[in-house]
Amino acid sequence: MTLTLLVFIPLLGAAIQAFFPRENADLHRKWGLAVSLIGLVIVLGMWGPFDSGLAGVQFEEQAAWIPSVGASYHLGIDGISYPMLLITAIVSVLAVLASWNISHRQKEFFAWMLVLQTAVYGVFVALDYLLFFFFWELMLIPMYFLIGIWGGPRREYAAIKFLIYTLVGSAVMVVGILATYFKAGLGTFDIIRIAEEANLDPNFQFWAFLAFFIGFAVKVPVWPFHTWLPDAHVEAPTGGSMILAGILLKTGAYGFFRIVFPTFPAGADAFKWLLALLAVISIIYGALAAMAQRDLKRMVAYSSVSHMGFVMLGLAAAAGTVAGARGLVDSGSVAHLVASGSLALSGALFVMVSHGLISPLLFFLVGSVFYDRTHTRMMDEMGGYYTKIPVAATILAFAAFANLGLPGLSGFVGEFFTLVGSFPAFRVDVIIAAVGLVITAAYHLWMLHRVLMGEGKPDERYPDINGRELAVGIPLVALIAVLGIYPSLVTSLFNPAVGHLMTKLGGI
Amino acid sequence: MDYSLLLPELILTGVGLLLILADAFGADRRTVTLAGFVGTACALVAAFTLFGHSQDIWRGMIRVDDFAVFFKIVFLSVLALLFLFSGEYLEKRRVKFAEFFILATFATLGAMVMAASHNLITIYLGLELLTISSYVLTGMLKGDPRSSEASLKFFLVGALTSGIILYGLSLLYGLSGSTDLRAIADALRTGQNAALATAATVFVLAGFGFKVAAVPFHMWAPDAYEGAPTPAAAFMITASEAAGFAALLRILVIGLGAAADVWQAAIAVIAAVTMTYGNISAITQTRTKRMLAYSAIAQAGYVLVGAAVATSASISAMLFYLVAYAFMTVGAFAVVVWLGNHIPGEEIEDFKGLAQRAPGLALAMTVLLVSLVGIPPTAGFFGKFILFRSAVAEGLTWLALVMVLNSVISVPYYYRLIRNMYLGEASEPSRLSVRPGTKVVLGVSVAVTLVLGILPEPLVRFLTTVQLLPLP
Repeated sequence: MTLTLLVFIPLLGAAIQAFFPRENADLHRKWGLAVSLIGLVIVLGMWGPFDSGLAGVQFEEQAAWIPSVGASYHLGIDGISYPMLLITAIVSVLAVLASWNISHRQKEFFAWMLVLQTAVYGVFVALDYLLFFFFWELMLIPMYFLIGIWGGPRREYAAIKFLIYTLVGSAVMVVGILATYFKAGLGTFDIIRIAEEANLDPNFQFWAFLAFFIGFAVKVPVWPFHTWLPDAHVEAPTGGSMILAGILLKTGAYGFFRIVFPTFPAGADAFKWLLALLAVISIIYGALAAMAQRDLKRMVAYSSVSHMGFVMLGLAAAAGTVAGARGLVDSGSVAHLVASGSLALSGALFVMVSHGLISPLLFFLVGSVFYDRTHTRMMDEMGGYYTKIPVAATILAFAAFANLGLPGLSGFVGEFFTLVGSFPAFRVDVIIAAVGLVITAAYHLWMLHRVLMGEGKPDERYPDINGRELAVGIPLVALIAVLGIYPSLVTSLFNPAVGHLMTKLGGI
Repeated sequence: MDYSLLLPELILTGVGLLLILADAFGADRRTVTLAGFVGTACALVAAFTLFGHSQDIWRGMIRVDDFAVFFKIVFLSVLALLFLFSGEYLEKRRVKFAEFFILATFATLGAMVMAASHNLITIYLGLELLTISSYVLTGMLKGDPRSSEASLKFFLVGALTSGIILYGLSLLYGLSGSTDLRAIADALRTGQNAALATAATVFVLAGFGFKVAAVPFHMWAPDAYEGAPTPAAAFMITASEAAGFAALLRILVIGLGAAADVWQAAIAVIAAVTMTYGNISAITQTRTKRMLAYSAIAQAGYVLVGAAVATSASISAMLFYLVAYAFMTVGAFAVVVWLGNHIPGEEIEDFKGLAQRAPGLALAMTVLLVSLVGIPPTAGFFGKFILFRSAVAEGLTWLALVMVLNSVISVPYYYRLIRNMYLGEASEPSRLSVRPGTKVVLGVSVAVTLVLGILPEPLVRFLTTVQLLPLP
């Protein structure tokens, strides 16, 4: 019942909210926050009962749903989905809090935020293809409205672009889902059962991998499917950007962990080079594009492309190390390779968690804290904020250092694990990706230099960060710092699941 | 002879006659719509009691089986909803509302007869009752030249079509010496006169192609649907089209089973072309009704996929989609009719700012449009999904892919309405009132759309028992 409650309480909250009077903006804000907090409480409450030693599915719920087509209401989480639920719950609450000053149509705004939470929680807990797809598509409509109604000047263009890109991806994915269903021949849409029991031939896996890859790669986004992202992130209202960058991108990567890799290991094997190549292109391209931006928010958006490249690299490396280990006899080197692959996967998951905290923080600072004061996002119109708004500036510097991968903060851990774990499989790619880290450091420092240092305009005076803004920023800052120092807080959650995934990949 | 088997038809005939009387005594709009609605609802209840029969009456002229009853329920539901949302529209445009409802009632009766027979004569009689009523319904906006033009076009093409169908049916009669579909099937199974059988198949297919507005037999449809009074268009797009599919399925599956490879291949191509043409044409439209007309053509293409696959699973899926389609379309048209009462232009631009002016209605319309695109959790998604599934299961993956791509093509024009409602600014921000009749229609259609989308199991399970013949 826990997961059902988690998924549907936000939807129920939105339904109840429909009866509230439209004019009372404060009521809508508080209601949105209260309902989101319930989600956070449920997710945190699962921390104790969640057994991090288990590789399998926990909190499982299963009921007949549409037996005549083989779909069931199957929910459950493992060490991969639980960390995702954690960032979803945290970022959802903070995104609502960050949206406190939405100036018009508050009722709809907070209702769509709640519907979006249902969709995202659903994606992370669904273990049935059809159910997964339901939630997957349900994410689109609220996000479309959030960007389209409350977004920036080019909101309509950004919203429809986001919608169409994702819908094309999902259309291809439906084909993949049905093909897998028929090919598996189990008469079920159960994700776990198909992954564990179906005997899919490698040729089919090749095509199925491709279909799902397109569906998920758009969402991650992997270069060259990323072009919707800068528009959507830049135009979205701050709360929307936070959820988009912090959570929605993770749903795409999560699809690889939950569906693609366990179900189509041979497909992953066939495409590992391509995955690694696209990952490295995403890392370098995202970093270079970020460096070229004048618009601060656009810079953060491109940095997301770059960081999600590390997730893809870790995935590719897992397939790569397994393939490398297959021909070997020496058990020592096999163990070394498998350990590297596991490290790369853990690193990828850690990047997802860490980026799920850092990017919302950056979007919040750039899109709200700074923009609300300066009314510009153009870096060359900024400057000298260290002296004008010291606290806000310090938090921005903190977030930038976290994002560039400063050791001691969470951004470092995931990328370091990924690079080290990927090295045995893709040496050249890792070396190029490491160059990406240098570029990342460069554009962040340059950004700090332009925005925070210098004189700035002489007559500018702004109030420093206020209490509500601190309430959004401080939890993220604290978590980023804690995870940077004590990463095993979450790696311990996903280690058994990673081991299980490596076994699946090995048994092609 | 058990007349209770004909109870829905008898009640509906009574309703039609009663409305004629009411009109003669000058009853007002409220009385007419209320009497019509209650009568239709009674017929609907009567139809529900008839499930589980499988028998021929009047020497096989009428057949009562679950397939027929199922379609009758769809037609009667559409008619019942029609009574609820079209009164004000008709009165505002000085259409004689009683005449309109009388014709719609008899058109529904024709549709019911069409779906309920194995005999070509009965099917043709039903078809003519339906189409002749529809010609008049189309032309009822006397002040609007587009309506008269639409009616004339529709009539000319319709008359030609009836000729084509009749010619095909006469060939079948010539081949078998019978007008009963089962006798025709036996005669065709001998394999003699295969060329003539193919010719008959082509004529029947072309004729019904016109009736369901499949490309390349669609050219009358956009004009007719656009020119017709909006409620009449809603009726034709849902009930008439479903009746066409019911008759087509009976004739093809039962009568022309021996020629299945001819028509299956032909329908597969027609389906692919129809949906693609309809969707692409809809994108550029600026008038709501014309856009919905092209969207109806595209939707007919999706339904035809079920006929092209022609397995028991695909026909179940087709029936599922027809129900879903009927409700989501009637709901969407109810919104268009309602909006037409406030802003007479019927332009897509008129939807601007509707989320502010009538939030509940805008939300309902959004659900219906999302369902028309085929996005979960709506009936439109699940209907497409099972159609798609049946096509993939039979190896028609290319057709399934065309269907999926078409769903994507359809996004821009359906979303334009949603965009206008939510992202657009109204020229005048005042709230618009919604009448109870329209509210009920929207409530029912949204409820059906969501329930069939989220919990489709009962209907899917039921539909597996609604079969024409033991199909593979």
